[in-house]
Amino acid sequence: MRSFTLASCIAALSSLACAELNLSEPLLSKQVLPSTFTPPQVFKNTNLVRTTNLDKAYPRETINVIIENIDSKPQSEYYLPFDASLLSKVGGFEVRDKKAADKGTFKVQVVGFDAESSTEFYRIHLPEALAPGAQQTISISYAVLSALQPVPAQLGQTEKQYVQYTFSAYAPSAYLTEKQRTKVKFPNTDVPDYTTLPAELNDEKKADPQKQGSTFTYGLYNNVSAGAQQPVSVRYEFTKPITHATLLERDLEVSHWGGNLASEERYWLVNQGAGLKNQFSRVEWQRQLYMNPPTFALKGLNLPLAPGAVDPYFTDDIGNVSTSKFRAGSKEALLELKPRYPLFGTWKYSFRVGWNADLSLYLRKLSTADTYVLKVPFLEGPRAGEGISYARVSLRVILPEGAENVRFSTTVPIVDNSTSLHKTFMDTLGRTTLTLTAINLSDEFRDRDLFVTYDYPWMAGYRKPLVIAMGIFAVFAVTWVLGSIDTSIGKKKTV
Amino acid sequence: MAAAVEDGQFLKQATGRNTRGLLRVIILCLIAGAAVSSRLFSVIRFESIIHEFDPWFNFRATKYLVQNGFYSFWDWFDDRTWHPLGRVTGGTLYPGLMVTSGAIYHLLRALAMPVDIRNICVLLAPAFSGLTAFATYLLTSEMVPSPSAGLLAAAFMGITPGYISRSVAGSYDNEAIAIFLLVFTFFLWIKAVKNGSMFWGALAALFYGYMVSAWGGYVFITNLLPLHAFVLICMGRYSPRLYVSYTSWYALGTLASMQIPFVGFLPIRSSEHMSALGVFGLLQLVAFVDWVRAQLPGKQFQMLLRALVLAVFVIGVGGLVLLTVSGVIAPWTGRFYSLWDTGYAKIHIPIIASVSEHQPTAWPAFFFDLSMMIWLFPAGVYMCFRTLTDEQVFIVIYAVLASYFAGVMVRLMLTLTPIVCVASAMAFSQILDTYLDAKTPKPATENASADTASVAAAAVLPDGLRSTRNPIVGIYSYASKVTVVGASAVYLLLFVLHCTWVTSNAYSSPSVVLASKLPDGSQHIIDDYREAYYWLRQNTPQNAKIMSWWDYGYQIGGMADRPTLVDNNTWNNTHIATVGKAMSSREEVSYPIMRQHEVDYVLVVFGGLLGYSGDDINKFLWMVRIAEGIWPDEVKERNFFTPRGEYRVDEEATPTMKASLMYKMSYYNYNALFPAGQAQDRVRGARLPAQGPELSTIEEAFTSENWIIRIYKVKDLDNFGRDHQSAVSFDKGHKKKRSTKRKGPRVLRVE
Repeated sequence: MRSFTLASCIAALSSLACAELNLSEPLLSKQVLPSTFTPPQVFKNTNLVRTTNLDKAYPRETINVIIENIDSKPQSEYYLPFDASLLSKVGGFEVRDKKAADKGTFKVQVVGFDAESSTEFYRIHLPEALAPGAQQTISISYAVLSALQPVPAQLGQTEKQYVQYTFSAYAPSAYLTEKQRTKVKFPNTDVPDYTTLPAELNDEKKADPQKQGSTFTYGLYNNVSAGAQQPVSVRYEFTKPITHATLLERDLEVSHWGGNLASEERYWLVNQGAGLKNQFSRVEWQRQLYMNPPTFALKGLNLPLAPGAVDPYFTDDIGNVSTSKFRAGSKEALLELKPRYPLFGTWKYSFRVGWNADLSLYLRKLSTADTYVLKVPFLEGPRAGEGISYARVSLRVILPEGAENVRFSTTVPIVDNSTSLHKTFMDTLGRTTLTLTAINLSDEFRDRDLFVTYDYPWMAGYRKPLVIAMGIFAVFAVTWVLGSIDTSIGKKKTV
Repeated sequence: MAAAVEDGQFLKQATGRNTRGLLRVIILCLIAGAAVSSRLFSVIRFESIIHEFDPWFNFRATKYLVQNGFYSFWDWFDDRTWHPLGRVTGGTLYPGLMVTSGAIYHLLRALAMPVDIRNICVLLAPAFSGLTAFATYLLTSEMVPSPSAGLLAAAFMGITPGYISRSVAGSYDNEAIAIFLLVFTFFLWIKAVKNGSMFWGALAALFYGYMVSAWGGYVFITNLLPLHAFVLICMGRYSPRLYVSYTSWYALGTLASMQIPFVGFLPIRSSEHMSALGVFGLLQLVAFVDWVRAQLPGKQFQMLLRALVLAVFVIGVGGLVLLTVSGVIAPWTGRFYSLWDTGYAKIHIPIIASVSEHQPTAWPAFFFDLSMMIWLFPAGVYMCFRTLTDEQVFIVIYAVLASYFAGVMVRLMLTLTPIVCVASAMAFSQILDTYLDAKTPKPATENASADTASVAAAAVLPDGLRSTRNPIVGIYSYASKVTVVGASAVYLLLFVLHCTWVTSNAYSSPSVVLASKLPDGSQHIIDDYREAYYWLRQNTPQNAKIMSWWDYGYQIGGMADRPTLVDNNTWNNTHIATVGKAMSSREEVSYPIMRQHEVDYVLVVFGGLLGYSGDDINKFLWMVRIAEGIWPDEVKERNFFTPRGEYRVDEEATPTMKASLMYKMSYYNYNALFPAGQAQDRVRGARLPAQGPELSTIEEAFTSENWIIRIYKVKDLDNFGRDHQSAVSFDKGHKKKRSTKRKGPRVLRVE
């Protein structure tokens, strides 16, 4: 990271600190509990089905569980434990009511023990407390980032890539689980290695796992105690790039005068796939291009933009990258990016893209007073079949100079937000800027919206023209005064 | 532009001074606008990018200045170039350019306009060309009373290719601001000489100091101004005005120039600056004599004084020579010698001769760069002889000197251009002033004035001559006016056309990015340089040392941000020769050299696939020559030529050539692109040997899309302590040669 940020242009310099931040330091506002804490055993999991989906470059876990209150009082706080090392990789943690998925997500919160503790918890707040003896089906979903390990770690240029994923056959739980299964969905049937568990563990005394096409099922397991783990690992073919953005900075600049919404995104990408065993061979690469077989190198990125996007650009630290195409369409505008070189495993690439759009598509003025509502996607970013993960997303919404009373709402889990001033072209005060930070996102969050509400008084829009006009007048006045001063030292010549 | 001048002329009679002044300002602004916009071809066609080689260093230095402040820039020791020597960059550069852009950058910041430093650097040269046009106007206006000459000169200066070649957008080099400073200093000097004003002399010194901080070509001013003064003295035109202006310029200017660390004490220690000092002394003597003569009339006394002057002068020159011989005053540098003897560099300093811009100028280049001005220019100089005022003497001297230098070095065409513009504008405006004048002298006055003459003529000449019969024929008739003015207008139009064409086609390529046309006419950009540099920047360790030929040093430093062994600041010939030797020797010789210099990657430029002729194989002979200059026993240029004296890369290439690292790196694995035995080098039009070269001590790390840049990684020492050649042959399954004594590790036999 250091290598390219150091000498990158000045704008990028500000991001240096963020880019250096390690993943193991999530900025979640933690409520630290003493290490003796164990969640009160007020629930039990009656039935649990966990699905591990390995289609994409990051494993996605979905846990559907029927929980039952076994306490005598109504309970509303359900805990889910994670290893401290795993927690820093978990992203997009969301919980819904299985029966009413459209009602939105539950409020979740990370709680931690002190620094020495190895286990940390997500605390899930059920919207309605569960009565004693009552049951509810909840669906917990999250993604684990940077969890796939290429094995072997170095490959020939045209070989197939195999990745390994290690997890626990028992779903993470802080409560007794009566019945549970873990389904592993692979992208294909090429699974050369996987852990076989002894049949005794299995309730049905069958071979564990059970194979059905590209789906493996571990379980059924009966009465798994709280916090129990059963590590298994699977290794499967995944000849696709594992695209990971260590940092994405996204700027949205609102201009009321220009009627323009300018977007700029700066990416620091790395391919987490296998490195090259030998060095890169251009001959082989060119030969391969004709056949176009699957490869673990990242060749290009498709960036779908909202319709109406214009003037796209694609540059990196040393200038314009000419290998991009822009296809404007009525449904969506597609920006096809091709990095300067194919990205094999461990290779990095940083770049920036930007475009403009008509502000009226995104901004609405409320009928009451000078209040505006801005509705923009939280994350746009490339779309790829194998998925892209973001370690850290920093979104800046730059509002016009003089905007005040900024509020926002989004369904994307935010870890930090702040409002500051950003001083740029001809500003006297600086523009109000809302900065939102999210960590461990994946491209599944592409379509989530961000709503920003702000007040923008009528007078604020005329500040800049007035200041500039006054400045120019001042220059003229000073010139006139200076010009009329007589500085000659000799006697004036009489004509 | 002709139309504008016509307007100026037309309005001269009609309206007052203020209107004409305003019109002149507007015209100058338009000229500046034309000058700036004609330099933007490359920005519009490609992007806002720094061009070529040297500008990349200037850009990098400017970024350093902007990020770290002036003082650390002044003390900048750069350990990322000339590894492992490093370079005292702050003390070995002309900081004027970087400081100028840094100042503009901070000024714009203060005005709440945060413009990217890259854009300032890219657009600095066009912006200053507008100022140059203005300075040329001022200079020309000092020469002739007609203001139209100044405007014409400004227009010429704005668009002439000779100047555009060094000042297109992106060409962020010292010349970008230096030409403006050159012209403006000359203007101030002329002003000082004309007025005998200390003020103008001091201003001239100030801008001279700025010029010294900006460009090594300041020596031209240092020698031209004394020469002017000297010639004036010799012509018997000594005056207190000259004394005041010269002494104030020399004293202040020399002090100013000594503030630049890179120049330091050179102004009093090196031969290039001695003429200024000499003329300074001479002026004191002349002034003294002049004063004494005014006090003591008497012919013999004056004779005595003259003898004294001569004696002092001879002693002074003799002393200089003595000091030079004894080494107190540095002798002329090699670059300077090559100005007098074009063959000098080729023999003694191949590194200077290897740069194409140091070659003597070819004849067509004058027409290419100056177009019609090249034949107007002598006319202008001739016109200076007619009146020959002090300032016109300056034109004559400048013209003669610059013409000579421009003939010797392509690069110095730049110093010739301003004077060509001034002189040809003088000639051209003379023509226009004469023929555009709408007035026809009234026949009455003509008759009256010609009365006695015509009577006398009539007495002498027979009536049959047409010229005597009708005296109103000639320049006053509309036919002749229209013809001449029309022809002039056509010339001017052709000139604009030519300038635009040359700028667009010859001088607007960034050379970092190559453009080609696809069959459907659309532009295709070949971006191999940046592809490879960016790969280096992103995927190699921050301190990986890159070895390449010195041409690419600045670009690697600027775009790849990696340390280099040698770069375009060719201060250490031996170090360059070391790289040359590594490139031109066998792998077994090169590998220890590369290990000693901690080289991690080697970068070569290869144009064989694309037909890109500026590649390393074509530059290879210079590497050989420079290496031979230091190690004549180990590298021999002769060995790279076939017995018949040809430089070949195909089957008949010499064994030395085929074994050289450069050859191997260029053609390694190239065969694989073609059917067996059909590998073709499109630059040299040669069919390559069926068996491609093998590498053992380095391995291919990256090759750009069109194979222009090839990067090789230098292998680490072998884990088993074998030499690389046997390691490679072992890996290939060849039998080990018997003679090697070293044994591999013992292996337990399990059967």
